Amino acid sequence: MSATASRPWGARLRIEASASQVAAAAIVAAFLLAFLVVPVGRVFLTAFAAAEGGFTLVHFADFFRTSLFIESFWNSLYVAGMSVIFASLLAVPLAVILARYRFPGSALIAVLGVLPLVMPPFVGAVAMQLIFGRNGTVNLLLMDWFDVRLDLMEGLNGVIFVQSLHYFPFILMNLSASLSNIDVSMEEAGQNLGARGATLLRTIVLPLALPGYLAGASLVFVKVFDDLATPLLLNVTNMLAPQAYLRVTSVGLGDPMGYVISVILVVVSVAAMAASALLLRGRDYATSQRGGGGLSQRRMTPAGRIMAWCFVVPALLLVLAPHAGILLLSLATIWSFSPLPDGFTLAHYATVLRETPQFLTNTLLFCGIAAFIDVVLGVVIAWLVHRTRLPGRALLDLVAMSALAVPGLVLGIGILRTYFDVHLPGGDSLATSWIMLTIVLAVRRLPYALRAATAALRQVHRSLEEAAENLGAGSATTLARIVVPLMAGGLAAAFVTSFATAAVELSATLVLVTRDVDAPLSYGIYIYMQSAAGRGPGAALGVIAVVVVAICTWAAHAFAERERRRRSRTVEPRGAA
Amino acid sequence: MSAQGVDVEGVSFGYGATRVLEDVSLSIRKGEFFAFLGPSGSGKTTLLRLIAGFGTPDRGRILIGGRDMTRTPPWSRNVGLVFQNYALWPHMTVAQNVAFGLERRRVPRAERDRRVRAALDMVGLAHLIDRRPAQLSGGQQQRVAIARTLAIEPEVLLLDEPLSNLDAALRAGVRQELVELQRRLGLTTILVTHDQEEANAAADRMAVLDGGRVLQMGTPTELYDRPANRFVASFLGTANLIDGTVEGGVFRAGGITLALREPATPGRATLALRPQAIRLHRDASGGALAARVLRTEFLGGHVRYTLELQEGQQLTTEEVHLRGRDPLAPGGGVQLEIDPQQVSIL
Amino acid sequence: MPQPLTSRRALLAAGGTAGLLQARTRAFAQAALEPRVVVVTSFSRDVTTPFVQAFERANPGTKVEIQNRNTAAAVAFIRETRSSPPDLMWASAPDAFEVLKQGNLLAQPRIDTAGIPERIGGQPTNDPDGRYFGFAVSGYGIMYNTRYLRANRLPEPKEWADLTRPVYQGHVGISAPSRSGTTHLTIETILQGEGWEKGWAQLLEMAGNFAQVSDRSFGVPDAVNSGQYGIGIVIDFFGLSAKASGFPVEFVYPTVTTLVPANIGMVEGARNPEAARAFIQFLLSPAGQQVLLDPKVMRLPVRQETYANAPAGFPNPFTNPSLGARVRFNNDVSEVRYELVNSLFDRVITFRLRELTDAWKAVRAAETALGRRDNAEGRRLLNEARAKLTTVPVTEAQAADPAIAGAFRATRPDRPAAGRQAQFEEEWDRHAVAAYAEAKRLAEQAQRAR
Repeated sequence: MSATASRPWGARLRIEASASQVAAAAIVAAFLLAFLVVPVGRVFLTAFAAAEGGFTLVHFADFFRTSLFIESFWNSLYVAGMSVIFASLLAVPLAVILARYRFPGSALIAVLGVLPLVMPPFVGAVAMQLIFGRNGTVNLLLMDWFDVRLDLMEGLNGVIFVQSLHYFPFILMNLSASLSNIDVSMEEAGQNLGARGATLLRTIVLPLALPGYLAGASLVFVKVFDDLATPLLLNVTNMLAPQAYLRVTSVGLGDPMGYVISVILVVVSVAAMAASALLLRGRDYATSQRGGGGLSQRRMTPAGRIMAWCFVVPALLLVLAPHAGILLLSLATIWSFSPLPDGFTLAHYATVLRETPQFLTNTLLFCGIAAFIDVVLGVVIAWLVHRTRLPGRALLDLVAMSALAVPGLVLGIGILRTYFDVHLPGGDSLATSWIMLTIVLAVRRLPYALRAATAALRQVHRSLEEAAENLGAGSATTLARIVVPLMAGGLAAAFVTSFATAAVELSATLVLVTRDVDAPLSYGIYIYMQSAAGRGPGAALGVIAVVVVAICTWAAHAFAERERRRRSRTVEPRGAA
Repeated sequence: MSAQGVDVEGVSFGYGATRVLEDVSLSIRKGEFFAFLGPSGSGKTTLLRLIAGFGTPDRGRILIGGRDMTRTPPWSRNVGLVFQNYALWPHMTVAQNVAFGLERRRVPRAERDRRVRAALDMVGLAHLIDRRPAQLSGGQQQRVAIARTLAIEPEVLLLDEPLSNLDAALRAGVRQELVELQRRLGLTTILVTHDQEEANAAADRMAVLDGGRVLQMGTPTELYDRPANRFVASFLGTANLIDGTVEGGVFRAGGITLALREPATPGRATLALRPQAIRLHRDASGGALAARVLRTEFLGGHVRYTLELQEGQQLTTEEVHLRGRDPLAPGGGVQLEIDPQQVSIL
Repeated sequence: MPQPLTSRRALLAAGGTAGLLQARTRAFAQAALEPRVVVVTSFSRDVTTPFVQAFERANPGTKVEIQNRNTAAAVAFIRETRSSPPDLMWASAPDAFEVLKQGNLLAQPRIDTAGIPERIGGQPTNDPDGRYFGFAVSGYGIMYNTRYLRANRLPEPKEWADLTRPVYQGHVGISAPSRSGTTHLTIETILQGEGWEKGWAQLLEMAGNFAQVSDRSFGVPDAVNSGQYGIGIVIDFFGLSAKASGFPVEFVYPTVTTLVPANIGMVEGARNPEAARAFIQFLLSPAGQQVLLDPKVMRLPVRQETYANAPAGFPNPFTNPSLGARVRFNNDVSEVRYELVNSLFDRVITFRLRELTDAWKAVRAAETALGRRDNAEGRRLLNEARAKLTTVPVTEAQAADPAIAGAFRATRPDRPAAGRQAQFEEEWDRHAVAAYAEAKRLAEQAQRAR
């Protein structure tokens, strides 16, 4: 808009933004600035700081001269890429079955598809070792029966295996949401023109669902690329994130290489997200005027049903393996070099419930608040970005999403450095208080909520808002009365994702938590797992975490379903011209 | 000079490099039923949305009721817009949808309930007050959308292709209801449509838009009878456009020679010829021009012929169908006569 | 603004500038215990919980607040919280306490150490200046899973040298010394006990049998307990507590080991000094020492009388004077090359484990082949390959050279940038990759030689 672009910024602000928009943007910006930009900025400066002070690129030159780092870089890319592929192989068929067919196991897929997310990745890795490790249950049995061993958990393969199983729900959830938002008329038009079955899927349905898939896949890529706990627990060190962590924690925070790697992690993550954004450009398929007509669910043929079960059951067994492993471990007396534990006991549960019930309540409190903050911020940012012409709105979105590319470790250290000397009444530091932990969890998980909010908002046709504005509702009212209720299903999903992933976050938590009484479950599990005398109590806490988060997830899912049914689609919308 | 309805003064608007509206000016009188008519992409919906406040013109002003509203946000305009897709909120009942605007205006509850009911009564849907939009038929949805808009007693009613999502059978009826409603309320109304019949039937006056410009404005009959250019002539009804020259009050083109009844500037000109300006003579004697029937389309009430003059000029004409008068068969010859009263020079 | 340094080296370097903290004046120094005491510790819950429970039983009204951090992070934490520090630092590594002491971050509480010997296994038990106190001693050794050994028909290892035997290929695990202070001490003990070159040769040959180099201390006992691999190089209490908790594991001290005290110290400026002092005193008391024998703790007490209550077969340095006696652990030598040893281990073993084990596999295959069909050319090639696999690119003198070892200390503004750590590391990495590839080639050649 040539005429607009030539206006001075101040004038544009006056013309294109209302006071409430500016206020909302200012609050969000202040939050992001205080708890993301400044802390991370402080940490990042180190990467470019010369020993004598001033700016230098010598550390980056060192990075690219070091063959181990180069190798780690390629390994990280390889692992992230392969994880996306394997996660897709698992997620895409499940999503299609879930969204397209009336399948008796759908509820199972929906619930179990979330289960990996509710398990801290490092717990998952422990359990996977017990099940699939070189002398895990599977291999011990295989060696007994067939004298073969599967090296599923060795080296990079192990990381790919664990990560694919852990992160495929990101693709499943995004894709199935995107699939079920495709207007039925899109598919019908395809059928009308002679496409059916696989052709219809390939030519109409999947391309329309591409934005959802890409959103999920890029998330998986970035998460795997940045993930620290899983490679570490599998003793894979020649990847970037572990290298950064090892540098920072063994050579010391004064060592610039850790920061250089952090910068590179961030750059690659940002590049991956930018690539996905580029691919998505011009593919804004807000196809229905009424917030999604819904893909028609069809009956399966008996053969199709058998095929579906044949895929779903093994997939779910695989997905459930870590849960089964951790459950067994939590109930085991001694489990050593045998397919199953020697005996079973409930003593570990008694131990953790007696000693540390606060881990549970803390998690519910911290992560609940964090997820709530995320949903509010997510909606406001998504709305500012997609529904207003506020100058600088894209930057806001970018900054919020960039939290995705900031490893928790780096954010945690940055927060510690920035806020340690701010004291709460009573003398405790703000940086190590539960309030800060909650805020950090919120910052870390904001991108999930923001993506979910954006996706949900895209499905709400603009005219629904314009109608409200036309009838006299201002921005805030429109957001509260029209947009948010229409997004309810998507927001429930946002809340769940934020909550569940916050509940299992560890890296920033490890840096910030100082006291057991203020610690969440994931920290408790980690602490209990540090034992040579058996990891039963840690596993018991892990099982409790899985159950609690699963219950919350189910509740939110039920709520979302009810919302969906309330907007029942008995009458199909008429397509807009 | 304000018409106290809606005044659009020199409005231009675009997205980036794409120009959507170019220097559009028009005045809509208070209480008038006005139509924006144009093909898709002509800018008519954009203009309507600017009047509703969705977007700010790059240049120009928009006055509503004589007040400059160019920079007023949509929620402060009191302009009722009925969306093409109705935009009923699926999470609210019919009553909640209709009450929404009244709540925003802080109308007391009792008064609000009364007005919701009144608005729904007006569109004959009071019995569906507790339904959700998904449980309504298309026609019912549209009437709820109108009721929702009328409930706020807007200064101006904007209708964006209100009939396009309805079955053909419903359209005429709904259109009449709309017109009656408008007359009863005396509400300044703007209808956006690409359907000339809709505009002709409903509007007191209309503007034909194309390429972001207003091509002509006037009553439906003015526009039909005296189109200002080829686009208007062909967009409104059927017109034969014949290129030729005017000299001494006579138009010539190919085999056609027509003495004009109205003064026309000499030189190259285009003759717009409505089908009904051509009279057919089945007997060889009556006509002035000989032609051959190329194509015959029986349309029920009338028959449409495509004719070819000896010089190759093609003309479309229509003849009222009467029982006992069989349509002319293609290939046959016919004589025709042009009524100079009914032609216009562009 | 102070730089965030967690490396113990860096801490030491920066510690001098920290300045003395003003001691708080305490009007009622002898008053009753404060209601809480804050402990920063690297110990796991298994260790802390029994002590906390026992202390709280003995001192009702005082709550012990545990803050878990690994040793380096704990040191950094204390440094950075000088305005409101925790009360106690409780950890294994004596060197961490030395760093704190030199940074003037440790107080000098009055503690009664009567009945505790000044030296155990040749090492001093307490800081001579009375700023930190040994409450237990730990040695390093070999932990193994008996089920695993039986199933794989492996002999029970006794000495470090046993672990170099080809039969253990792929059955041994260790944690990286850069990640685990206790493993560092083990490595340093071997290097001092066997000498730099012989020590590295032994370590590299042992590494040929490594299944894994874990990044967490606990990764090794976990893996041995669960039977992911059979043998782990660990600190004694990992093995002893696992065994006491019922796992089918055993633990042995090789001759080359050292007993190092695990310590506690009061932080300068502690806000709850009386409770802190009481906690230290409790740890050293007979009642506190008894807690060390809890099945989940299993650390060697510093009071001789406590051993009377120990389970059968529990190691006792008082009655077994050979335990830890062979090595006179030299702290100064260790001090100078601390980061260098860690970094070198990571470059030549941790990060190149696959290349290293592949080369050793080839060497062993060649040895088997030569055993059947001995020939001089094969022997020569094999010796060459072994030499490649058992040499590190750094000499003992270089490791002690401040110009080289110094590059591994945190950068200081007054030190020139020459000889940067990254350059050495890159050099070593290239050396390792090249040497291992060459060794593998030579061994394969030796295997074919006739």
